[in-house]
Amino acid sequence: MPKLSKGVKKDKSTRKPSNAQPSEIKININGRWHNFAPERDITPTMQLSYLLREKLGYTGLKVSCDEGACGACTVIMDGKAILSCMMLAVEANGHEITTIEGLEKDDPVVEAFAKQCEPGYGTALQCGICTPGFVMSTRALLDDNPLPTMAEVKEALSGHICRCGCYAAIAQAVTHASEKIAKKGESL
Amino acid sequence: MKQPYKPRSDRKFVGGYRPRIDAWEKASGKVEYVDDITLLSRFPGMLYAKVMRSPHAHARIEKIDVSRAQKLPGVVAVMTYKDPEFATLRATNAGWTDGVDTVTYDRMMWRQFRDRRVLGDYACWVTDEVGAVVAAESEEIAEEAIRLIDVEWEVLPFVLDPLEAMKPGAPLVHPEITQNNVLPKEKVGGDDVFLNKGNVDTGFAEAEVVIDGTSTHHNATQASLDNWCCLVNWTTEKLTLYSNSYEADQSRMHISQMLDLPLHKVNVISSYVGGQFGRGDTGEQPFFLFTAVLSKKTGRPVKFRHTRRESFHDSRQPAIYYGKVGARKDGTITSLYFKSIGNTGAYADHSIFALKFAPMEIAEASFAHIPNVKLESYGVYTNKLPACMMRGVGNSQFNLIFGHVIDLLAEKLDMDPLDLCIKNFGHEWETLPDKSLVEVLKQGSEKIGWSEKRHKPGQGQVYGKVKKRGVGFSIHPAWHAEWQETRRGHIPVSITLNPDGTVILDAPTVETGTGSNTCNVLGCAEALSFLGVTPERIHWNHLVNTETSMKDCVQTDSSVSYLQSEVLAVTAKEVRKEILKRAEPLLKSKQGELDIVDGRIFVRNNPDQGLSVKELLFQGDLVPIVVTTSRIPNSEKTGVPYFANFAEVEVDTDTGKVDVLHLVVINDCGTVMFASGAEAQQVGGQVTGLGETLTEEIIYDEATGVPLNFNWIDYKIPTMADMPEVDPILLEIWKGAGEYGACGIGEGTLTCTPRAIMNAIYNAIGVRINDIPIKPEKVLQALGKI
Repeated sequence: MPKLSKGVKKDKSTRKPSNAQPSEIKININGRWHNFAPERDITPTMQLSYLLREKLGYTGLKVSCDEGACGACTVIMDGKAILSCMMLAVEANGHEITTIEGLEKDDPVVEAFAKQCEPGYGTALQCGICTPGFVMSTRALLDDNPLPTMAEVKEALSGHICRCGCYAAIAQAVTHASEKIAKKGESL
Repeated sequence: MKQPYKPRSDRKFVGGYRPRIDAWEKASGKVEYVDDITLLSRFPGMLYAKVMRSPHAHARIEKIDVSRAQKLPGVVAVMTYKDPEFATLRATNAGWTDGVDTVTYDRMMWRQFRDRRVLGDYACWVTDEVGAVVAAESEEIAEEAIRLIDVEWEVLPFVLDPLEAMKPGAPLVHPEITQNNVLPKEKVGGDDVFLNKGNVDTGFAEAEVVIDGTSTHHNATQASLDNWCCLVNWTTEKLTLYSNSYEADQSRMHISQMLDLPLHKVNVISSYVGGQFGRGDTGEQPFFLFTAVLSKKTGRPVKFRHTRRESFHDSRQPAIYYGKVGARKDGTITSLYFKSIGNTGAYADHSIFALKFAPMEIAEASFAHIPNVKLESYGVYTNKLPACMMRGVGNSQFNLIFGHVIDLLAEKLDMDPLDLCIKNFGHEWETLPDKSLVEVLKQGSEKIGWSEKRHKPGQGQVYGKVKKRGVGFSIHPAWHAEWQETRRGHIPVSITLNPDGTVILDAPTVETGTGSNTCNVLGCAEALSFLGVTPERIHWNHLVNTETSMKDCVQTDSSVSYLQSEVLAVTAKEVRKEILKRAEPLLKSKQGELDIVDGRIFVRNNPDQGLSVKELLFQGDLVPIVVTTSRIPNSEKTGVPYFANFAEVEVDTDTGKVDVLHLVVINDCGTVMFASGAEAQQVGGQVTGLGETLTEEIIYDEATGVPLNFNWIDYKIPTMADMPEVDPILLEIWKGAGEYGACGIGEGTLTCTPRAIMNAIYNAIGVRINDIPIKPEKVLQALGKI
């Protein structure tokens, strides 16, 4: 159980949901189950992104728009890429969450994003703040569809904003990661 | 496989295609931005601040009552403009500096326009920070406390349109500064007519062909994902600021001057920043100051972070331009006149920089061979978002009219606009044609297929019954060559050579994503190539701490990519001297008799007699060799290179939708410092360029002045699905002074994008649209369909 900072007294004006709260909230984060006490650890209005970043220190995911428009807070839940700012922490009860901290050290997607530099596309990241979100969506895409077409890549990643504009290089990186994963699969 | 660029000369590291030095850290989510560094768990007892915002476009506080807010549990402090901590602060503005130099209060760039209080009773746009600030145990509580503040407003008449604002009787935004909303003449920008060479009237009278036109640029916003954020911990010992401002030394000066603290009592700490794009000049951050005051008041660390909606705080300055050109029938331009009206918004900011300073640079670099040139400009206060510094400041607005009149004139002369450019534009110390411009246009036109695809306006092939295609381009002189950076003064860097041969590079800058850190590591490796050092064995320190770092070189003008490397070329020579000095007694030879190649020191006349640098350093006291040098940028006027964008578009004449099919971005860099990074800038800049051309726009409710789309759902930034194929072309034709003679390109990648697309649209449909963003309804209107 990670140490949690003391929750601030909840503002009385906040509307309480009408349904009964669970007595305990269990969330698997990066392979480990955590138990949270409702109210003390997780308030009814707390976003999953807030729980992960502010309470547990998983700062790989970023909160930028905080309303589902930019993709920077993307994590994987039960194999699917989700926007953690658009999900209440309590909704993650019983589910498995992977943040970028939970990826393998030599994750082929991270590697492909990091190494992307071939002529004509630029690098797959510049300021880097949107990158973890892109990486997590790519990871979920390739887990589901190891050899996506370019149209599928664009569809999967078009919920993300990269203001530095590295889209072309990101698409290249996804292709390279996909090739690497496919190769690995063959050699197994 | 796309083709790599062709370097002018062979270099070991500089100019290479390789990953960024921070790529692994960033791709794996390990890089920490200010919002990560300032988690509550790292600053126990930390409070969160919020500021009241005006619901009115123009209003003054008559009465304020904070008692209900103060009583809310969790609220620690509520302060208002009446508190002496705020009432005694001097008026300020956002125009202290463009980031190039560090300045004091007295020496701020636009000192005539001190139009802003850190916390005042006067609001001049909807969401203006005004009246009161709160520090509370959580952001939710702080927000609720702000809602509980009771204010009686004196609601004043407002004006949003600059042309309306210039009319007699219009509401005055800052009557203490101007009685007609027009920014008064000041020293840096000069008169309303700020350039008047020859006589344009005579020039037009003598011309055989005269054309004129207008263009309108709007509010696009920087949209960095890393929302503005700071944490201030003001203890009895000192004030510490953690921020994502792109200036560290200047932030220290700003705080010192505004809060009357000696410099050694202000510590500014910055690390990686998630995108800057021009936002946040000094003075634009009153939030540093009120957060600091709250920290002092409460005795606790206080964090203030803008929400994304609140981060719509700065934008490109909207400008209306009129342009007129006279020429002889052979295409020789005889007379050139531009007039602009800029919508400054609620605060003057760097308006005059955009309206006068930048066009002056263009005139110097491009119009030197035109005998009659007149430039005239007016910056006008309105009750809209204060707007100015954004990637390509001033140049983007100017290019919108520049590329327009070139296209108009070429059409009238029945001449290829490429030839028209080559015939006329260049700087004074070179004869025409300009070599850089010629090559930029050649490469761009070949890549886009200019001669095959261009046709008479609107008369090309029709695709799928309703779709028409066209090509267009625009050119611009680059700026940010070394001679334009002398205001920076001394640029310090330091090389530490460890006994094991590894290197610590201190080239302080707040890395905002530009890739200058990688440029500098490559520059360092190149300069130290006599040691055989690879970039992997050089550590660049990303943290800027004004107590322990040297002055940071600010990421403005896109020029950190080469400025520090130019200094490093000098520093490395000193490192070499120091090594040889230490080797003298061991090799029993004088420095002049020794050489170093690939990390081995040897006697030139007897190469077998020698030792490795590592052996040398491991023999002594194991004290690293540290060399710190600084250098003022070389002021030798070397001109500037050119850049251009070419576009191919497809316009659906039924729906009005514009699809950009292909963009070509050509930048003459002088020297490419880091090819993958430079191409990332070229390709990446198109997201902003294309966005501001087609979709991005801040929309106001004209009846109330309320901005309607301060969010990324209604403010449309292109995503991966919206971007066309982009081809980056790097050139090394022009060369500045110094070892590399490079030139900043980041801003120059997107300056021409809107006009290139607009000229392509004209080529496609034969009707001109001159105000961006070009949304489908404007296309249909232009076609007479609605």
